[in-house]
Formats: sequence, structure tokens, C-alpha cells
Amino acid sequence: MKRQMLNALFAGLALTMLSTQSQAASDEVLFLDKVYPLLKEKCLACHGDSPDKIKGEYDMRTYEGMLAGGKSGEAAIVKGKPVLSPFFISLTWDDEDLQMPPKENDRLDKAQMEIIREWIERGAPWSDPSVKRTVAWGDVSEDGMVVKTSGGLDDSWTYRRYEVDGLWAYQPIKKVMPPNDDAHPVDSFIDTQLEETGIKVAPPADKLNLLRRATFALTGLPPTPVEVDAFLDDDSPDAFAKLVDRLQASPHYGEKMAQHWLDVTRYADTSGFSNDFERPTAWRYRDYVVRSFNADKPYDQFVREQLAGDELTEAGPEGLIATGFLRMGPWEHTSMSVAAETRQQFLDDVTHSVGVAFLGQQMRCFACHDHKFDPLPTQDYYSFQSLFATVQFADRPLPFLKNENTRSMATGKERLKRRIENASNRDKYLDQQVEKIVARKKKESGPKGMDEETLKQVYELAKKDQETAVAKATRKQKMYYEREAMRYEPYGYTVYNGPSRVTNSNKPIMTMPPLKKLKGEPEAIHILTGGSIESPAEKVSPSILSVVSGFASAKSPFARTQIPEGMSGRRTALAEWITDRENPLTARVMVNRVWQHLFSGRALVGTPNDFGKMGKRPTHPELLDYLSIWFMDNGWSVKKLQCFIMASEAYQRSASPVDSDITQKDRPNQWLSYFPPRRLQAEELRDGMLAITGELNDEMGGPGTFPQINWEVAFQPRLVMGTIAPAYQPSPKRSERHRRSLYHFRFRSLADPMLEVFNRPGSEMACDVRDETIIAPQAFALFNSEFVHDRALALAALAQEKKATFRQRLELIHQRLFGRSPSDEQAVLFEEHYKRVLKHHLTSTPIEEALPLTVERESIEELTGEPFTMVEELDNLKDYERDLKPWDAEPEVRALAEVCLVLLNSNEFSFLY
Amino acid sequence: MNRRESLYGLGGTLGTVAFNSLLAAESPLTPKPGHHPSKAKNCIFIFMEGGPSHIDTFDPKPVLDKLHMKEFSRESKFASAMSSGKRFYVGSPFEFKQYGKAGIPMCTEYQHLAKVADELCLYRGCQGESVNHPTACYHMNTGNRFGGDPAVGSWVSYGLGTSNQDLPSFVVLPEVNYPQGGSANWANGFLPAHYQGTTLRAKGSPILDLLPPKGVTRDLQRMNLDALQKINQQHAVANPTHDALAARMSSYELAFRMQSIVPDLIDLGKESDKTKEAYGIGQMETDDFGKRCLLARRMVGNGVRFVQLYAGGWDSHDYLERAHSARIRSVDKPIAALIRDLKQRGMLDDTLVFCCGEFGRSPDNGVRGGGARVGRDHNAKAMNIWFAGGGTKAGHIIGATDEIGDQAVEVVHPIKDLHATLLHLLGLNDNKLTFFDQGRYKQLSQTGGQVITEILA
Repeated sequence: MKRQMLNALFAGLALTMLSTQSQAASDEVLFLDKVYPLLKEKCLACHGDSPDKIKGEYDMRTYEGMLAGGKSGEAAIVKGKPVLSPFFISLTWDDEDLQMPPKENDRLDKAQMEIIREWIERGAPWSDPSVKRTVAWGDVSEDGMVVKTSGGLDDSWTYRRYEVDGLWAYQPIKKVMPPNDDAHPVDSFIDTQLEETGIKVAPPADKLNLLRRATFALTGLPPTPVEVDAFLDDDSPDAFAKLVDRLQASPHYGEKMAQHWLDVTRYADTSGFSNDFERPTAWRYRDYVVRSFNADKPYDQFVREQLAGDELTEAGPEGLIATGFLRMGPWEHTSMSVAAETRQQFLDDVTHSVGVAFLGQQMRCFACHDHKFDPLPTQDYYSFQSLFATVQFADRPLPFLKNENTRSMATGKERLKRRIENASNRDKYLDQQVEKIVARKKKESGPKGMDEETLKQVYELAKKDQETAVAKATRKQKMYYEREAMRYEPYGYTVYNGPSRVTNSNKPIMTMPPLKKLKGEPEAIHILTGGSIESPAEKVSPSILSVVSGFASAKSPFARTQIPEGMSGRRTALAEWITDRENPLTARVMVNRVWQHLFSGRALVGTPNDFGKMGKRPTHPELLDYLSIWFMDNGWSVKKLQCFIMASEAYQRSASPVDSDITQKDRPNQWLSYFPPRRLQAEELRDGMLAITGELNDEMGGPGTFPQINWEVAFQPRLVMGTIAPAYQPSPKRSERHRRSLYHFRFRSLADPMLEVFNRPGSEMACDVRDETIIAPQAFALFNSEFVHDRALALAALAQEKKATFRQRLELIHQRLFGRSPSDEQAVLFEEHYKRVLKHHLTSTPIEEALPLTVERESIEELTGEPFTMVEELDNLKDYERDLKPWDAEPEVRALAEVCLVLLNSNEFSFLY
Repeated sequence: MNRRESLYGLGGTLGTVAFNSLLAAESPLTPKPGHHPSKAKNCIFIFMEGGPSHIDTFDPKPVLDKLHMKEFSRESKFASAMSSGKRFYVGSPFEFKQYGKAGIPMCTEYQHLAKVADELCLYRGCQGESVNHPTACYHMNTGNRFGGDPAVGSWVSYGLGTSNQDLPSFVVLPEVNYPQGGSANWANGFLPAHYQGTTLRAKGSPILDLLPPKGVTRDLQRMNLDALQKINQQHAVANPTHDALAARMSSYELAFRMQSIVPDLIDLGKESDKTKEAYGIGQMETDDFGKRCLLARRMVGNGVRFVQLYAGGWDSHDYLERAHSARIRSVDKPIAALIRDLKQRGMLDDTLVFCCGEFGRSPDNGVRGGGARVGRDHNAKAMNIWFAGGGTKAGHIIGATDEIGDQAVEVVHPIKDLHATLLHLLGLNDNKLTFFDQGRYKQLSQTGGQVITEILA
């Protein structure tokens, strides 16, 4: 009995001891894993991180400080009593005078409040966060997973736990088998999910819609009437497969794919900011991208060339052109800039753009602090940045390649030569300008007028001012022209490895430094505290993203990637790491983009440039993994991947949902029970119209071309550092103006309003998904603009010339626009419409409008603070081949053009199904 | 006009407005209460692009007169080529007087503004970060030096909507040439397209392609539009679940109506000669800016929430005296008329007028023309900003710069605090006015700002 009691007593004691121990352990876990990270995220920014700027004198750096409270003198935490603790009360926001954190969006959610409540109830136990702990990488508890990285700025970040769900993109790509052997693997995955939702699936699309869908997707152009007939007549079972082959073999295929890639890499022909100077040979990168897609260059090779083409001898001159990618962002260095800042601006830009383009990682989010949501420490940001520490800009001599288009160069050079001469000749308009100014001053001086002496002075001053302003503008414009002339010179817009040097963007060509200057120490990269170049902290070595390797098997070479620290080879090693089959991001990111562009902009991961926790989850994760492995197994071939996806029923479905409850069951159509319809993209609209009217010039490549844009925009003075830039002048040759939109010279500071209004993205930020807004200015652009009126007239003239009757003409127009005949009802409608508008055109004669040969441009001259005007000759307009204009067309053609205008504006033309 | 169209009105279309779905019940521009009560309901933001010199306008520095043309040298890793090397102090060529009860100093070129000095709240403590025009303009307009983020006017429209659904909520009146950085200065950034600034261009068509080519009569256009809507109707019947079709059809009708509404809106013909004279309209130096000031008053009077006006040309690296006096003369009379007009109409209380450049200017200059072409370089660490009306302290000077005007030293605040203050004056809390984008809630001040309470009445 006694013994039993004793035993019981011992047992009780042991229990108590045990529970005290585990209590202590769990207190530590509670504080370090849950409470401290919250304090850090929500409180310490104002109550500790900057010791000299402690808000409200409440210093939370020490336990004592945390308990003691701030200015009010009242203790902040009453152990065991959350409701009596001002600290806790402030978090509830119940007291209007004490609401913490002050930002609405930083407020603690319910679960977080519970953590703090439990902690205070437990007596607010504290553990030193600076003491190293041993937590196993990959350890998973109900609070999430501990993820192996190179480590954060402190342990609480390093050992924090992540919801496993949000880490999907870093986990190795899984080898998955399609759930069903009978179907196309894509359908197998998609249908399984559709069956779960119980949505009725749409039938196959009709052949015409399928043809338009595929032709626009792969070439950005509409099918021609001949192509329509051929496809509709082909009843063979592999008709669609043959179509895809034909489309992929078209040179226009590479142009369409390039457009998508250039959205991500922010291609432009100018550098942005104050001067928006031309990058004379950037166009060679654009054409490299077109060639790469047309050749179906394996994607891994495409990645390697853009990252390290200059280091890879086997890549040859193409490799040098490809690395222009690294310099694609806006960048400028002038005497107004701080060299250290512009260098850092480049390093940040390239770090971010490489992360976004190839890895789907928003790198800027961890430049100033460890990533708030993803396992991406600041250290990784700077070690990743260090991969580019030796990258220097250079425009290196590089003869034009056989497959580059140099056809327009002789005329281009000639034109610029004349323009440069012309610019020197501006003074001839001086007297005219002076007269105008004097006339205004006279008017201003009132009824009495000026005496002779004053008038003379006014004349002299006006003349001097005009001379100054015009001379200044002219000097600057010559600078622009001289730069432009360099687009015809054989240089590559590329990089080299070398020690730091300051490059001024005023130089049109940044030559390589002499050999001896290539030696030296690689630029040191430091962690920049708070992202500020004025606060460099510890130096880092070049490295990759630790979390990505952290999930790989420790045995694999991928997990042990080493980056050389010398001048050369850093980017080659990076490229190897990115294109390693074990990299979980690369293939997924590209497969997602390929899918997105086939499915009307709907990607499997809805945020193609953000695969982190705050991005969207894949709608079909297994399909994404299946396709990623398929992609790599098939030699990273984009063409093969597209063929494979397009062979699925999912791709070939009708765009009309059949399920009557579809808006309830799946309004966003994420399960793809029908094909998502889409609006034509800006370039497709423009190029498509030119193709339909037979005006499209399908010449490929070469320096940027200059289409006719809205004249008001072309002539609007564009402010550049100190003065105004030359007026925009469209090419005099019609065929040059009617090149594909991809080849338009892209200014960062001057957008073609026709393309801009249809959501063509700017070239500052990488664009993953284009917007598809519907806005009134689009109606102005399509219904009122000279461009669309010209196309309508061209189409009408074509129909008038080729066919004899109205009905035949209408048939031709419909075939070219939609690939179908008009319905009887439509034919009647348009015939009546035609008769009505013909009455108008028979009685009205359009008045010819001449093109201006000069343009007067005005701005404020900084030197005088007064407005100045300058006459600029529009040399391109002297020998300008105009499009067909109303005054050159018969009334019947003009009336038919009204019909064409209506059809070009129709919803049927604007949307794909 | 059906109910939905009247709801959207022009506010939904003048800028670039999305009709995502006809089912959307409410216009995104429906007026909304702010976060707290405020006097100011509207804002007129005058942007003096180029960097007006505080030292030569509102912040006299007599010490510089003594140092004039004395040499010094500045070298720093963080100084630009422009501001380092051999330099000279530059005394102001302008004469100063003090005006109003508070004795606000102004250079005597500002003769009209001087008469409304009692309405102004002059702030001398603001500091920027960038000395490049486009980046500094972006910073002042959007809070982000590299552009791409929503402009102040976009945020205000997002926060408050607009009281007149027939007009856009955020109107920009640029000069013929756009400022450096271009239209990104009034872009909606990541906010929905409804909140983009609508530019009414200074020359030519106020909105691009507002009208069809010459020779296309309104009747002819209506006929085409009717034919278009008929075939669109047939197409819509065949595609009943495709929302975008109806939205696109109504966008054409709205565009058609705008063709008559917009020209009316900007026609100053009905204003009296007296008003025009007061704004300096018809006088060579002031005509251009005077028109924009009067237009701004008309817009605000008709319920436009936020108007931004540009007056550029302040980048006086050389010939400071001449260039700045010409610039001042071009804005002085129109601005004074605007303030007086708002006051007389009882609108100054609920209209916040706010005027700034992208930065101030330096007390020194490089060697230009051997010292003959006296001017000043860029200076982000000191500038002058003034407010009028809208719940600001009338007739006050807040903050100060050092004795040579090189740095702000009293009531010093970064631009993000200025932004928080602007929003606060309009009844909005910068910390609550947020939008989720690219993985986080974003706000005008980027990382949170502090209201400059000294400015508040």
C-alpha cells in the first residue's frame, strides 16, 4: 500500500517534471516561432530596428523594455492578463487612441491575435532570439515547414515556418502519370477535374473558329481565304496537325512568339529617362529572338545564350547579340546622375529581370529585407546580384550576319546624312520666327506702339534668343541623328566581363576598354542595408537562390552548384543552374507561358512572373508538372510542346459554354470546360487589318521601321534634357510603313497611340499578362483614326477592282475579314447601307489635304524662360508615298469603304473564339 | 441613356475606363466618403516642371550675396558630375519684399501672387531623393522614382470617387510638350484604368481622334454606327455568354456622345471678358497658362475631383534672372486670379491648391560662361512648396532651409510625408488607402508616411 502510494507519488512527480520541461520547450517554440516573428514583422520597425527613432519611447529590443512600456509609464504587458495589457489592447484596435500597428493592412488577423493572447496568458515567456537553435530543415509541423536557405538577417527569419502550399514552386517537379490512359494526357488531367466539378463540357469548335484561333495564336495574323478553303476542305483526320505544322513553319511564327518574349524582356530601341537616347543596334536582339523561335532553338540553349552568350564560345556572334538581354531595361547615365546610383540601378534591374523572366521570382521583394512571405533571404538577393558584378556594357564590333536584314541600310544612311546637313541649315527660318515674335511684342506693347529704338532692341533680342534656342535644339537633334546613323554600323549591343567602369549614356557607341583595363578585381557586391547604396554591409560571394537548391536531393550536383568568383564564368554557371533539369522553376515557368499564349492569356499559374506565395497557385498542378517533364524530355522544344498541347480536346473545344449554370459553377472558366474567347492584341489588330487589305509587307527584321502614327502625336514636341527631340517622321515608303508592328522602332517615351490604347504594355516593367480592357478611346482609335479609315478605303478599292457587283465585293470583303460569306440578312443590310451612304458620297467631294513639309514646334527655352518656336523640315514627307486617300477614290469606292469601316469595327473582327 | 450608362457617364469613359461586365452595378467612380472629415474635397495641383529655385522666389538667402562668385569645391561618391568639382556660390539677382500678415517673402517679380499672400501656406521643409528631372517628377507625382505607380490624382480618385459622373475624376492639363517622363506622370499604375488621368491636350484635338477625319459628317457617322450595332447585335445573340461584346457596344455609343460633350467642356467662350482679363487670357505672356488655370477652376466647379496643371521651363542652369522672371511672369497673374476666383466663389475652403516643382535649386553653380551665365543646378534637399485653401494654414511659413538654402533644416520631411499630408487634407488616410498588387498592399507613400501637422489649419 505504502509502496503503491509512493509509486503514485513518484509517478506524479515525474509527470510534473516532464510537463514543466515540455512546457519550457513549448514556451520557447511559441515565442521564437510564433510570437517573435510577429513582433518583428509588426512592431520592431518602429520600436527597435532604428534605436535612434523609437516611436512613443516604447523600446521592444529587450524583454525588460517590452514589458515596461513607453511614454505613458504604464507597463505594456501584464503577465497572464492579456486584457489588462496595453500592448494587447492596442492590437485589438478597440481603443481609438491606441491602435497598433497603425496601418490598417498590417493589423493582426484573428489567428495572430490568438498567438499573442496565448503567449501573455502563459506569462509572456521569453527566449533569446539571438541564440542559435537546432531545427531540422524540412521539419513540418502544423505551423508549416522549416525551409533550408542561406539564412536570413536573423534566426527568427531563418527558422520561420512556411505554409507548405505556398512552397509548391520550389519543390522538385513531380513525375506524374496521367490519370487515364485513353485520352490525350492533357485532357486526362483536365477532364478529371472537370468531372469533379460536374460542368458540362463544350463540343469541339467549328473548323473556321479553330483555324482563326490557331493562326492568330501562332502567327499573329488572320488566315487568308486560300488557307481557309484549304483547311475547311481537308477532311483528313490529321488536318489540324498539318495546320499546326504549317503555321509553325511560317516565318511569322517566330515574330508572334518574339512579341510575347519581348513583353517579358521589355524590349525597346531607346533607353528611357531624360534623353531617351537610341540604342542603335538593339534591333539585332529583337531579330535574334525571332530567329531563335523560328529555328525552335531548345529553350535551355535560348536561356544560356541570353544570360552568358558572351562567355560561351560555341554560341558565336549570336551569343553576343543574345546577351543584349542583360541591358534591355531602361538605363541612363548623364552628368546629372550619380555613378554609384546608376550602376546599382542596373544591377537591381538585371537581378530582377533575370529572376522574373526565367524563374518567375519577383526579386525586388527581398532587396531591402528578407522576403516577407517567401524563403528568399536578402543575402540571396545580393549573392544573386553578384552573378552580374562583372557585367559591363559595350557595343562590340560585330559584322552583320547573313541572316540579318541590312536591305534598308544604304537608303537609311543617305537619309540621315541629309538630315544632319539639314539640321545645320535651320537658320533659314530664323527671320520668319523673329518677325513673329516682334509682331507679338508689338501687339503686347499697347496702342502707342514702340519707338524706333525700342523696336530695334526688341528685334535684336528676339534674333539672339531665337538663334540661341534653335542652335541648342539643333545641336541636340544632330546628336540624335548621329546616334541614329549608328544603327547601320556593325556593332553588337552587348556586354563583357571586366572591372567597374563608368559609362556615359551620351556616347552612342560604348567601345570596349583596352585589354589592360580588362584586368583587375571584380566589383565587390555587398548586402545593402535597406537597399541603400549608402549603407553597404557584409560582402557576398556570387551564388544562386538557396531555397531552390535546398529542396533538391543533397546528393545531386544541382544542390551543390558552385559559382566561380573570378571575372569570367559566373553567368555561365548561373545558366547551367537555371537550365539544370533539377531546377524546379525553369521548365514550369516556360511551360506556363506557352500554355498561356495558346489559351487566350489564361495561364495555369495566373501570375506567370510570380511563382511565390503571393502569386496564384496552379489550377492544374499535376498537368503543369507533367508538361514540364515532357518539355525537357522533348529537348526543351517549344514547337513540340505547342503541337502536343494543341492536339488536345481542351485546346480544340468550342468557345461557347454549353452548361447553363456556367456562371455559377466556373465564371472565370478556370477548369476550361470551353475555350476562352479573347480580344485581338494591339499588334494583331493592326497587322491583321494590313493583311486583310493586302497591304502588309511581310519583310522580316532589320533596324526599326517608322509607321504613320497619329500626326498630332508625331509632331508633339517631346521634351528631352535641355530641349526638344526631333519630330517623329514616318517612313516615306508605303511598304516600309506597312511592316509588322513588331519591327516598329520602339521609343520608351513615344508610344504609337493606336497600339497603346489596345493595351500594348510599356517597356518599363516586365509584362506577363496583357490587360484586355474595353474603353471608349478604343472606339475613337478604330472608328475615327486615319489609320483605320485608310485601311477601309484600301479594302474597298481592292474589292472594287477585283469584283463586278456589290454582292461579290461584299463576299470578298467578308472572306478576307472573317473567312466566311455574309448571311443573306447581312447582305441585305449592307446593300441598303451602301445605297444610303453612296448618296452622300455622290454629292460630296472630298477636299485634298496636303501633307506639311515643315512643322512649327514650340516649347519653353530654359535659357530665356520664354517660349520659342522652331521650324523643322519634314524631309520624309517630301517624297512620301501616301496611302489611297478619299480624294483619289471614286464615290462608289468611298461608299464601299464605309461598309468596310463598319466591318473592321465589328465585334466579330475584334474577338477570337 | 439607360440607367447603367448614366451611372458610368463620362467619368467612366473620358479617361480609359474598363467595362468589365454589364453586370457591374456601380461605377468605380461613385463618390465615397473619406476616412475622416476634411475641409478639402477637391484638389488643384500646379506642377512647375524643371525645378523652380526656392532661393530666388520664396526663400531669400542674403548670405549668398556676400558669397557671390566665391569659389568652393565639392567631391563625394554620391555627388553627380554636375554638382562636384570647382563651383561658385551664386547670390540671388532678385529683390525681395515681405507680403501679407505673415510677411511671406517673395521676389518682386511675383507682384500678383503677393496680393494674395495671406491665403498661402508656404512650406520649406520638403526633401526629395533624385536630382534627375524624370525620376524626380515621378517621385513627386507617384511616390516612386522609377515610375509605373499610380499618380496622386489616381489615388485620390480611387479613394473618393467623383461627385459628377459626367466628367472625369482626374484631369490633367499639360503644356503642348509633355513633361519629362511623359504620361507616366499621371498614369493609373496598378490601379484600375478608371483612375488614370485624362489629358486634355493643349493644342489640336483635346483627346486623340475625338472627331472623325474631315468630310465625315455626324449623320454619316450615325449611319455607320447604326449598321455596326446591328451586326454586333446579331453577333451577340450568337454568343450570349460573352460579356465583353455588350461592353464594347456601349463604349461606341459613349464615344459618340463624347464627341459633342468634350468640345463644350473646354470652350472658354462663355466666360466674361473681365474674367479672361483677370486670368491674363489674351495677354502674350500669360495667355497659355491663364487658360489652363481658368479651365481648372471650371472643372473643379463642375465637380472634377482632381486637376493637375503643368507649367514647365524652370530649369535655369544659366541666365537665372532672365529665365526665372519670364517664367514667373507667365504664371503669376493666372495663379493669383485662380486663388482670388476660388475665394470669391466660396470654393477655396473645399479646394486644396498645391504648387511645387520636382526639386529646388542649388545655392551654387559650376563654371558656366566664366561666371557670366549665372544660374543654379538641381537640388533635391531643399525646395519651396505652397498650399492655399483646403484646410491649410493660411498666411503661414512652415519649416526652413539652412542659411544658404542648401538643405531643409526645420520641419524636414521626405516626399512620402508630403503625400500622406495631401491625402490627409482630402480626408484620406494613406495607411488605409491601399491596393493589393504584386504580392503586397501598396500605398501612395510606398512605405507609410507621416502627416506634416504643422501645415494643417
